[in-house]
Amino acid sequence: MNFLGYERPDGQVGIRNWIGVISVMDNINPITRAVCGAVDGTIPVTTLFVRGQFGRDLEIAFDTLAGMGRNPNLAGALVIGLEEYSTGQIADRIANTGKPIETVILQRTAGSIAATAEGTEKAARLVAGASSLRRKEFPASALTLGVECGGSDTTSGLASNPAIGRAADRLVDDGGTVIISETSEFLGAEDLFAERAADDSVRRAFLDRVLGHEKASMERGLDIRGANPVPDNIKGGLSTIEEKALGAMSKAGTRPLVGVLDYGESPVRKGMHFMATPAPAVESMTAFAASGCQLIAFSTGVGNIIGNYVSPTIKVSGNPKTVGKMPVNIDHDVCSIIEDGRTITEVGDELYDYVLDVSSGTKVASEILDQRETAISRFEPSI
Amino acid sequence: MTRAILLNESDNVATLIDDGSSGDDCLLQGEGTGSVKLGRDIPFGHKIAVADIDIGGEVIKYGQVIGLATEAIPAGQHAHVHNIESRRGRGDKPA
Repeated sequence: MNFLGYERPDGQVGIRNWIGVISVMDNINPITRAVCGAVDGTIPVTTLFVRGQFGRDLEIAFDTLAGMGRNPNLAGALVIGLEEYSTGQIADRIANTGKPIETVILQRTAGSIAATAEGTEKAARLVAGASSLRRKEFPASALTLGVECGGSDTTSGLASNPAIGRAADRLVDDGGTVIISETSEFLGAEDLFAERAADDSVRRAFLDRVLGHEKASMERGLDIRGANPVPDNIKGGLSTIEEKALGAMSKAGTRPLVGVLDYGESPVRKGMHFMATPAPAVESMTAFAASGCQLIAFSTGVGNIIGNYVSPTIKVSGNPKTVGKMPVNIDHDVCSIIEDGRTITEVGDELYDYVLDVSSGTKVASEILDQRETAISRFEPSI
Repeated sequence: MTRAILLNESDNVATLIDDGSSGDDCLLQGEGTGSVKLGRDIPFGHKIAVADIDIGGEVIKYGQVIGLATEAIPAGQHAHVHNIESRRGRGDKPA
Protein backbone atom coordinates (compact mmCIF):
# COMPACT_ATOMS: atom_id res chain seq x y z
CA MET A 1 0.00 0.00 0.00
CA ASN A 2 1.11 3.59 -0.70
CA PHE A 3 0.54 7.07 0.69
CA LEU A 4 1.42 10.63 -0.32
CA GLY A 5 4.20 12.15 1.78
CA TYR A 6 7.00 14.70 1.84
CA GLU A 7 10.53 13.47 1.17
CA ARG A 8 13.22 14.81 3.53
CA PRO A 9 16.94 15.23 2.75
CA ASP A 10 17.84 12.23 4.98
CA GLY A 11 15.46 9.93 3.08
CA GLN A 12 12.74 9.90 5.74
CA VAL A 13 9.18 10.71 4.65
CA GLY A 14 6.92 13.17 6.47
CA ILE A 15 3.12 13.06 6.51
CA ARG A 16 2.94 16.78 7.40
CA ASN A 17 5.07 19.70 6.28
CA TRP A 18 5.30 21.87 9.36
CA ILE A 19 8.07 24.09 10.65
CA GLY A 20 8.72 23.20 14.29
CA VAL A 21 9.41 26.07 16.67
CA ILE A 22 11.32 24.46 19.53
CA SER A 23 11.83 25.89 23.03
CA VAL A 24 15.17 24.82 24.44
CA MET A 25 13.87 25.31 27.98
CA ASP A 26 10.73 26.36 29.85
CA ASN A 27 11.61 30.07 30.14
CA ILE A 28 11.40 30.38 26.33
CA ASN A 29 7.87 28.98 25.91
CA PRO A 30 6.12 32.41 25.76
CA ILE A 31 8.32 33.44 22.81
CA THR A 32 7.77 30.11 21.04
CA ARG A 33 4.01 30.49 21.39
CA ALA A 34 4.12 34.10 20.17
CA VAL A 35 6.09 33.11 17.05
CA CYS A 36 3.68 30.23 16.30
CA GLY A 37 0.74 32.60 16.77
CA ALA A 38 2.24 34.92 14.16
CA VAL A 39 3.30 32.37 11.55
CA ASP A 40 0.91 29.94 9.83
CA GLY A 41 2.37 26.49 9.14
CA THR A 42 4.34 26.25 12.38
CA ILE A 43 3.82 24.05 15.44
CA PRO A 44 5.17 24.81 18.91
CA VAL A 45 7.41 22.23 20.58
CA THR A 46 7.51 23.51 24.14
CA THR A 47 8.93 21.89 27.25
CA LEU A 48 8.99 22.29 30.99
CA PHE A 49 12.28 22.29 32.94
CA VAL A 50 15.68 21.67 31.25
CA ARG A 51 17.01 24.35 33.66
CA GLY A 52 17.98 22.32 36.73
CA GLN A 53 18.38 19.05 34.83
CA PHE A 54 21.72 17.27 34.80
CA GLY A 55 23.36 14.05 33.66
CA ARG A 56 21.19 11.38 32.11
CA ASP A 57 18.01 13.35 32.83
CA LEU A 58 19.33 16.35 30.82
CA GLU A 59 20.62 14.13 27.99
CA ILE A 60 17.15 12.57 27.61
CA ALA A 61 15.54 16.03 27.59
CA PHE A 62 17.95 17.30 24.88
CA ASP A 63 17.61 14.09 22.83
CA THR A 64 13.81 14.19 23.05
CA LEU A 65 13.58 17.84 21.98
CA ALA A 66 16.04 17.26 19.14
CA GLY A 67 14.28 13.99 18.22
CA MET A 68 11.04 15.92 17.69
CA GLY A 69 13.05 18.35 15.54
CA ARG A 70 14.36 15.42 13.48
CA ASN A 71 10.87 13.96 12.99
CA PRO A 72 10.16 13.94 9.23
CA ASN A 73 6.79 15.66 9.78
CA LEU A 74 8.87 18.82 10.26
CA ALA A 75 10.28 20.36 7.08
CA GLY A 76 12.61 22.47 9.18
CA ALA A 77 13.09 23.83 12.69
CA LEU A 78 13.52 27.14 14.47
CA VAL A 79 15.31 26.53 17.78
CA ILE A 80 14.78 29.28 20.36
CA GLY A 81 17.01 29.25 23.42
CA LEU A 82 18.09 31.39 26.33
CA GLU A 83 21.83 31.10 25.74
CA GLU A 84 24.28 29.71 23.24
CA TYR A 85 25.32 26.38 24.75
CA SER A 86 21.94 24.68 25.20
CA THR A 87 20.59 26.16 21.95
CA GLY A 88 23.57 24.66 20.12
CA GLN A 89 22.99 21.30 21.82
CA ILE A 90 19.52 21.07 20.26
CA ALA A 91 20.34 22.59 16.86
CA ASP A 92 23.45 20.40 16.42
CA ARG A 93 21.49 17.23 17.19
CA ILE A 94 18.97 18.06 14.43
CA ALA A 95 21.60 19.14 11.88
CA ASN A 96 22.40 15.64 10.54
CA THR A 97 18.94 15.43 8.95
CA GLY A 98 20.04 18.06 6.43
CA LYS A 99 16.85 20.04 7.08
CA PRO A 100 17.00 23.84 7.29
CA ILE A 101 17.52 24.99 10.90
CA GLU A 102 17.54 28.52 12.30
CA THR A 103 18.21 29.66 15.86
CA VAL A 104 17.30 32.60 18.08
CA ILE A 105 19.30 33.19 21.27
CA LEU A 106 17.38 35.44 23.63
CA GLN A 107 20.42 36.78 25.51
CA ARG A 108 21.85 38.07 22.22
CA THR A 109 18.71 40.12 21.46
CA ALA A 110 17.26 43.31 22.94
CA GLY A 111 14.71 41.22 24.86
CA SER A 112 11.53 39.28 24.31
CA ILE A 113 9.97 41.62 21.72
CA ALA A 114 13.13 41.61 19.62
CA ALA A 115 13.50 37.82 20.02
CA THR A 116 9.88 37.31 18.95
CA ALA A 117 10.40 39.55 15.92
CA GLU A 118 13.60 37.73 14.92
CA GLY A 119 11.89 34.36 15.41
CA THR A 120 8.85 35.45 13.42
CA GLU A 121 10.99 36.55 10.49
CA LYS A 122 13.08 33.36 10.51
CA ALA A 123 10.01 31.10 10.88
CA ALA A 124 8.26 32.92 8.01
CA ARG A 125 11.21 32.27 5.70
CA LEU A 126 11.34 28.59 6.71
CA VAL A 127 7.60 28.20 6.04
CA ALA A 128 7.94 29.87 2.63
CA GLY A 129 10.70 27.41 1.72
CA ALA A 130 8.78 24.38 2.98
CA SER A 131 5.66 25.37 1.07
CA SER A 132 7.39 24.70 -2.26
CA LEU A 133 7.65 20.97 -1.41
CA ARG A 134 4.98 18.67 -2.87
CA ARG A 135 3.59 15.34 -1.71
CA LYS A 136 4.78 12.29 -3.66
CA GLU A 137 3.80 8.65 -3.55
CA PHE A 138 5.73 6.44 -1.09
CA PRO A 139 5.27 2.86 0.11
CA ALA A 140 3.77 2.27 3.57
CA SER A 141 7.17 0.84 4.57
CA ALA A 142 8.28 4.48 5.12
CA LEU A 143 5.83 4.81 8.03
CA THR A 144 6.39 4.35 11.76
CA LEU A 145 3.16 4.09 13.78
CA GLY A 146 2.99 4.45 17.57
CA VAL A 147 0.18 2.53 19.29
CA GLU A 148 -1.24 3.94 22.52
CA CYS A 149 -4.31 3.71 24.75
CA GLY A 150 -5.95 5.95 27.33
CA GLY A 151 -9.32 6.09 29.05
CA SER A 152 -9.60 2.32 28.57
CA ASP A 153 -12.70 0.25 29.35
CA THR A 154 -14.16 -3.16 28.41
CA THR A 155 -14.61 -2.08 24.79
CA SER A 156 -10.89 -1.23 24.51
CA GLY A 157 -9.86 -4.86 25.03
CA LEU A 158 -12.67 -6.18 22.80
CA ALA A 159 -12.70 -3.76 19.88
CA SER A 160 -10.38 -0.73 19.61
CA ASN A 161 -7.14 -2.38 20.80
CA PRO A 162 -7.53 -5.52 18.63
CA ALA A 163 -8.54 -3.35 15.62
CA ILE A 164 -5.36 -1.27 16.08
CA GLY A 165 -3.48 -4.58 16.41
CA ARG A 166 -4.80 -5.69 13.03
CA ALA A 167 -3.76 -2.36 11.44
CA ALA A 168 -0.32 -2.75 13.10
CA ASP A 169 0.06 -6.23 11.57
CA ARG A 170 -0.87 -4.87 8.14
CA LEU A 171 1.76 -2.11 8.42
CA VAL A 172 4.46 -4.58 9.54
CA ASP A 173 3.51 -6.91 6.65
CA ASP A 174 3.92 -3.94 4.27
CA GLY A 175 7.46 -3.41 5.58
CA GLY A 176 6.67 -0.58 8.02
CA THR A 177 7.44 -0.06 11.71
CA VAL A 178 5.20 -0.12 14.78
CA ILE A 179 6.10 0.90 18.35
CA ILE A 180 4.15 -0.04 21.48
CA SER A 181 5.13 1.57 24.81
CA GLU A 182 3.96 1.95 28.44
CA THR A 183 6.18 -0.51 30.32
CA SER A 184 3.88 -1.07 33.32
CA GLU A 185 1.06 -2.36 31.08
CA PHE A 186 3.08 -5.47 30.24
CA LEU A 187 3.42 -6.67 33.83
CA GLY A 188 1.73 -10.03 34.23
CA ALA A 189 1.96 -10.95 30.57
CA GLU A 190 5.62 -10.06 29.99
CA ASP A 191 6.50 -13.72 29.39
CA LEU A 192 3.74 -14.03 26.77
CA PHE A 193 4.94 -10.91 24.94
CA ALA A 194 8.59 -12.03 25.29
CA GLU A 195 7.68 -15.17 23.30
CA ARG A 196 7.26 -12.87 20.28
CA ALA A 197 10.90 -11.74 20.42
CA ALA A 198 12.79 -12.34 17.18
CA ASP A 199 15.90 -13.52 19.07
CA ASP A 200 17.26 -14.06 22.55
CA SER A 201 18.91 -10.63 22.91
CA VAL A 202 15.62 -8.86 22.07
CA ARG A 203 13.80 -11.15 24.52
CA ARG A 204 16.27 -10.36 27.31
CA ALA A 205 16.24 -6.61 26.56
CA PHE A 206 12.43 -6.58 26.78
CA LEU A 207 12.26 -8.55 30.04
CA ASP A 208 15.03 -6.38 31.56
CA ARG A 209 12.94 -3.23 30.93
CA VAL A 210 9.72 -4.68 32.38
CA LEU A 211 11.25 -6.42 35.39
CA GLY A 212 13.53 -3.43 36.06
CA HIS A 213 10.46 -1.21 36.06
CA GLU A 214 8.71 -3.53 38.54
CA LYS A 215 11.78 -3.56 40.80
CA ALA A 216 12.00 0.26 40.73
CA SER A 217 8.29 0.48 41.62
CA MET A 218 8.73 -1.99 44.50
CA GLU A 219 11.58 0.15 45.85
CA ARG A 220 9.14 3.06 45.99
CA GLY A 221 6.69 0.86 47.93
CA LEU A 222 4.33 0.27 44.99
CA ASP A 223 3.31 -3.32 44.22
CA ILE A 224 2.02 -3.06 40.65
CA ARG A 225 1.71 -6.78 40.05
CA GLY A 226 0.04 -7.66 43.34
CA ALA A 227 -2.51 -4.86 42.89
CA ASN A 228 -3.81 -6.03 39.50
CA PRO A 229 -6.48 -6.45 38.30
CA VAL A 230 -7.94 -3.79 40.62
CA PRO A 231 -11.40 -4.42 42.19
CA ASP A 232 -13.06 -2.27 39.46
CA ASN A 233 -11.44 -4.44 36.78
CA ILE A 234 -12.74 -7.61 38.47
CA LYS A 235 -16.21 -6.12 38.73
CA GLY A 236 -16.00 -5.31 35.01
CA GLY A 237 -15.15 -8.92 34.20
CA LEU A 238 -11.34 -9.06 34.09
CA SER A 239 -10.17 -12.17 35.95
CA THR A 240 -6.36 -12.14 35.90
CA ILE A 241 -3.40 -9.80 35.42
CA GLU A 242 -2.53 -11.75 32.24
CA GLU A 243 -5.96 -10.98 30.79
CA LYS A 244 -5.65 -7.26 31.60
CA ALA A 245 -2.15 -7.01 30.12
CA LEU A 246 -3.11 -9.00 27.00
CA GLY A 247 -6.01 -6.61 26.38
CA ALA A 248 -3.63 -3.63 26.44
CA MET A 249 -0.98 -5.32 24.31
CA SER A 250 -3.48 -6.56 21.71
CA LYS A 251 -2.97 -3.17 20.03
CA ALA A 252 0.53 -4.40 19.10
CA GLY A 253 -0.89 -7.12 16.85
CA THR A 254 0.85 -10.46 16.50
CA ARG A 255 4.07 -9.97 14.51
CA PRO A 256 7.57 -10.70 15.93
CA LEU A 257 9.17 -8.20 18.31
CA VAL A 258 12.36 -7.09 16.56
CA GLY A 259 13.64 -4.27 18.77
CA VAL A 260 13.59 -2.71 22.25
CA LEU A 261 13.99 1.06 22.56
CA ASP A 262 14.56 3.43 25.46
CA TYR A 263 12.57 6.65 25.90
CA GLY A 264 12.46 8.57 22.59
CA GLU A 265 15.04 6.31 20.87
CA SER A 266 14.65 5.78 17.11
CA PRO A 267 14.24 2.27 15.70
CA VAL A 268 17.01 1.14 13.36
CA ARG A 269 15.03 -1.79 11.92
CA LYS A 270 11.59 -2.20 10.39
CA GLY A 271 8.94 -4.21 12.23
CA MET A 272 7.37 -4.32 15.71
CA HIS A 273 9.22 -2.56 18.54
CA PHE A 274 8.73 -2.02 22.26
CA MET A 275 9.71 1.31 23.84
CA ALA A 276 10.18 1.62 27.61
CA THR A 277 8.13 4.66 28.69
CA PRO A 278 5.96 5.72 31.63
CA ALA A 279 2.26 4.92 31.14
CA PRO A 280 0.72 8.45 30.96
CA ALA A 281 -0.23 9.11 27.34
CA VAL A 282 1.22 12.61 26.86
CA GLU A 283 4.69 11.55 28.04
CA SER A 284 4.54 8.35 26.06
CA MET A 285 3.40 10.06 22.84
CA THR A 286 6.14 12.68 23.22
CA ALA A 287 8.63 9.79 23.17
CA PHE A 288 6.94 8.41 20.02
CA ALA A 289 7.28 11.80 18.31
CA ALA A 290 10.97 11.98 19.30
CA SER A 291 11.62 8.47 17.97
CA GLY A 292 10.34 9.49 14.51
CA CYS A 293 6.78 8.11 14.55
CA GLN A 294 4.88 10.01 11.86
CA LEU A 295 1.56 9.14 13.46
CA ILE A 296 -0.08 7.48 16.45
CA ALA A 297 -3.15 5.24 16.75
CA PHE A 298 -4.77 5.92 20.13
CA SER A 299 -7.43 3.58 21.50
CA THR A 300 -9.96 5.01 23.93
CA GLY A 301 -12.99 3.52 25.68
CA VAL A 302 -14.54 6.19 27.88
CA GLY A 303 -12.88 9.02 25.93
CA ASN A 304 -9.52 10.80 25.99
CA ILE A 305 -9.05 13.73 23.60
CA ILE A 306 -5.37 14.63 23.78
CA GLY A 307 -3.10 14.43 20.73
CA ASN A 308 0.58 14.96 20.04
CA TYR A 309 1.86 18.05 18.19
CA VAL A 310 4.44 16.41 15.96
CA SER A 311 2.73 13.04 15.36
CA PRO A 312 -0.94 13.33 14.34
CA THR A 313 -2.93 11.14 16.73
CA ILE A 314 -5.86 9.03 15.48
CA LYS A 315 -8.48 8.47 18.19
CA VAL A 316 -10.10 5.06 17.80
CA SER A 317 -13.09 3.97 19.89
CA GLY A 318 -15.35 0.92 19.93
CA ASN A 319 -17.62 2.25 22.68
CA PRO A 320 -20.98 3.35 21.13
CA LYS A 321 -21.73 5.64 24.11
CA THR A 322 -18.42 7.50 23.73
CA VAL A 323 -18.71 7.79 19.95
CA GLY A 324 -22.28 9.08 20.39
CA LYS A 325 -21.36 11.52 23.14
CA MET A 326 -18.15 13.03 21.70
CA PRO A 327 -18.23 12.30 17.95
CA VAL A 328 -16.03 15.29 17.11
CA ASN A 329 -13.14 13.86 19.15
CA ILE A 330 -13.25 10.30 17.78
CA ASP A 331 -11.53 10.04 14.40
CA HIS A 332 -12.29 6.41 13.69
CA ASP A 333 -15.30 4.46 14.93
CA VAL A 334 -14.88 0.69 15.39
CA CYS A 335 -18.21 0.14 17.19
CA SER A 336 -19.37 -2.21 14.44
CA ILE A 337 -17.27 -4.99 16.05
CA ILE A 338 -19.65 -4.96 19.01
CA GLU A 339 -22.81 -3.50 17.43
CA ASP A 340 -22.93 -5.39 14.14
CA GLY A 341 -20.79 -8.45 14.82
CA ARG A 342 -18.19 -7.50 12.22
CA THR A 343 -14.79 -9.18 12.49
CA ILE A 344 -11.70 -7.51 13.93
CA THR A 345 -9.88 -8.32 10.69
CA GLU A 346 -12.45 -6.50 8.55
CA VAL A 347 -12.66 -3.44 10.81
CA GLY A 348 -8.89 -3.38 11.40
CA ASP A 349 -8.31 -3.37 7.63
CA GLU A 350 -10.55 -0.29 7.33
CA LEU A 351 -8.54 1.35 10.11
CA TYR A 352 -5.35 0.62 8.17
CA ASP A 353 -6.85 2.36 5.11
CA TYR A 354 -7.61 5.35 7.36
CA VAL A 355 -4.03 5.35 8.72
CA LEU A 356 -2.84 5.72 5.11
CA ASP A 357 -5.43 8.47 4.46
CA VAL A 358 -4.16 10.43 7.48
CA SER A 359 -0.62 9.84 6.22
CA SER A 360 -1.65 11.39 2.89
CA GLY A 361 -3.05 14.51 4.57
CA THR A 362 -6.49 13.80 6.07
CA LYS A 363 -6.57 15.78 9.32
CA VAL A 364 -7.44 14.34 12.73
CA ALA A 365 -9.52 16.06 15.41
CA SER A 366 -6.65 17.04 17.71
CA GLU A 367 -4.90 18.83 14.81
CA ILE A 368 -8.02 20.67 13.64
CA LEU A 369 -9.01 21.69 17.17
CA ASP A 370 -5.38 22.16 18.33
CA GLN A 371 -5.86 19.92 21.36
CA ARG A 372 -2.27 18.80 21.61
CA GLU A 373 0.40 18.70 24.29
CA THR A 374 4.06 17.83 24.84
CA ALA A 375 5.61 16.40 28.03
CA ILE A 376 9.13 15.03 28.25
CA SER A 377 9.40 12.51 31.09
CA ARG A 378 11.66 13.28 34.04
CA PHE A 379 13.97 10.53 35.25
CA GLU A 380 15.63 12.41 38.13
CA PRO A 381 14.54 15.37 40.31
CA SER A 382 15.72 18.93 39.57
CA ILE A 383 18.80 20.21 41.38
CA MET B 1 -30.54 -10.87 22.43
CA THR B 2 -27.42 -11.98 24.29
CA ARG B 3 -24.13 -11.81 22.42
CA ALA B 4 -20.50 -12.60 23.17
CA ILE B 5 -17.30 -11.83 21.27
CA LEU B 6 -14.67 -14.46 20.61
CA LEU B 7 -11.39 -12.57 20.04
CA ASN B 8 -9.31 -15.39 18.57
CA GLU B 9 -10.43 -18.60 16.91
CA SER B 10 -8.37 -20.66 19.38
CA ASP B 11 -10.05 -19.07 22.45
CA ASN B 12 -12.16 -21.18 24.81
CA VAL B 13 -13.79 -18.18 26.52
CA ALA B 14 -15.84 -15.34 24.99
CA THR B 15 -16.79 -11.95 26.48
CA LEU B 16 -20.45 -10.97 26.87
CA ILE B 17 -21.44 -7.67 25.22
CA ASP B 18 -24.97 -7.79 26.69
CA ASP B 19 -26.21 -8.71 30.14
CA GLY B 20 -27.17 -12.40 29.89
CA SER B 21 -29.77 -14.44 31.79
CA SER B 22 -29.58 -18.11 32.69
CA GLY B 23 -30.91 -20.23 29.82
CA ASP B 24 -30.28 -17.58 27.13
CA ASP B 25 -28.89 -18.80 23.83
CA CYS B 26 -25.83 -16.57 23.66
CA LEU B 27 -24.81 -15.77 20.09
CA LEU B 28 -21.08 -15.83 19.33
CA GLN B 29 -19.56 -13.16 17.07
CA GLY B 30 -16.11 -11.86 16.22
CA GLU B 31 -13.86 -14.80 15.38
CA GLY B 32 -16.53 -17.34 16.37
CA THR B 33 -20.00 -18.43 15.23
CA GLY B 34 -22.87 -20.47 16.69
CA SER B 35 -24.28 -20.14 20.18
CA VAL B 36 -23.95 -21.48 23.72
CA LYS B 37 -26.64 -21.74 26.40
CA LEU B 38 -25.85 -19.63 29.48
CA GLY B 39 -25.59 -21.62 32.71
CA ARG B 40 -26.51 -18.64 34.93
CA ASP B 41 -27.08 -14.86 34.86
CA ILE B 42 -23.86 -13.27 33.65
CA PRO B 43 -23.21 -9.50 33.33
CA PHE B 44 -21.85 -7.48 30.37
CA GLY B 45 -18.06 -7.65 30.11
CA HIS B 46 -17.76 -11.00 31.88
CA LYS B 47 -16.62 -14.23 30.24
CA ILE B 48 -18.25 -17.56 29.45
CA ALA B 49 -16.65 -20.84 28.47
CA VAL B 50 -17.47 -21.69 24.86
CA ALA B 51 -16.13 -25.24 25.21
CA ASP B 52 -15.83 -27.48 28.26
CA ILE B 53 -12.66 -26.67 30.21
CA ASP B 54 -11.20 -29.36 32.51
CA ILE B 55 -10.02 -28.67 36.04
CA GLY B 56 -6.44 -27.37 35.72
CA GLY B 57 -7.03 -26.66 32.03
CA GLU B 58 -5.78 -23.54 30.29
CA VAL B 59 -8.22 -20.66 29.91
CA ILE B 60 -7.50 -19.04 26.53
CA LYS B 61 -8.37 -15.49 25.40
CA TYR B 62 -6.58 -13.41 22.72
CA GLY B 63 -5.15 -16.81 21.67
CA GLN B 64 -3.07 -16.82 24.88
CA VAL B 65 -3.32 -18.40 28.32
CA ILE B 66 -4.90 -15.96 30.79
CA GLY B 67 -5.01 -18.46 33.68
CA LEU B 68 -5.88 -22.01 34.75
CA ALA B 69 -9.31 -23.42 35.64
CA THR B 70 -9.58 -24.23 39.37
CA GLU B 71 -12.65 -26.40 38.66
CA ALA B 72 -14.24 -27.86 35.54
CA ILE B 73 -15.98 -25.06 33.57
CA PRO B 74 -18.68 -26.43 31.24
CA ALA B 75 -19.53 -24.54 28.04
CA GLY B 76 -21.96 -21.69 28.78
CA GLN B 77 -20.78 -21.32 32.36
CA HIS B 78 -19.41 -18.10 33.88
CA ALA B 79 -15.59 -18.03 33.80
CA HIS B 80 -14.17 -15.55 36.32
CA VAL B 81 -12.15 -15.17 39.54
CA HIS B 82 -14.17 -17.95 41.26
CA ASN B 83 -12.90 -20.58 38.81
CA ILE B 84 -9.83 -19.05 37.09
CA GLU B 85 -6.47 -18.74 38.80
CA SER B 86 -3.75 -16.44 37.48
CA ARG B 87 -0.40 -18.01 36.89
CA ARG B 88 1.22 -14.64 37.79
CA GLY B 89 -0.52 -13.03 40.79
CA ARG B 90 -3.91 -11.47 41.37
CA GLY B 91 -5.27 -8.41 43.15
CA ASP B 92 -7.41 -10.23 45.73
CA LYS B 93 -4.77 -12.86 46.52
CA PRO B 94 -1.04 -12.67 47.29
CA ALA B 95 1.12 -12.63 44.13
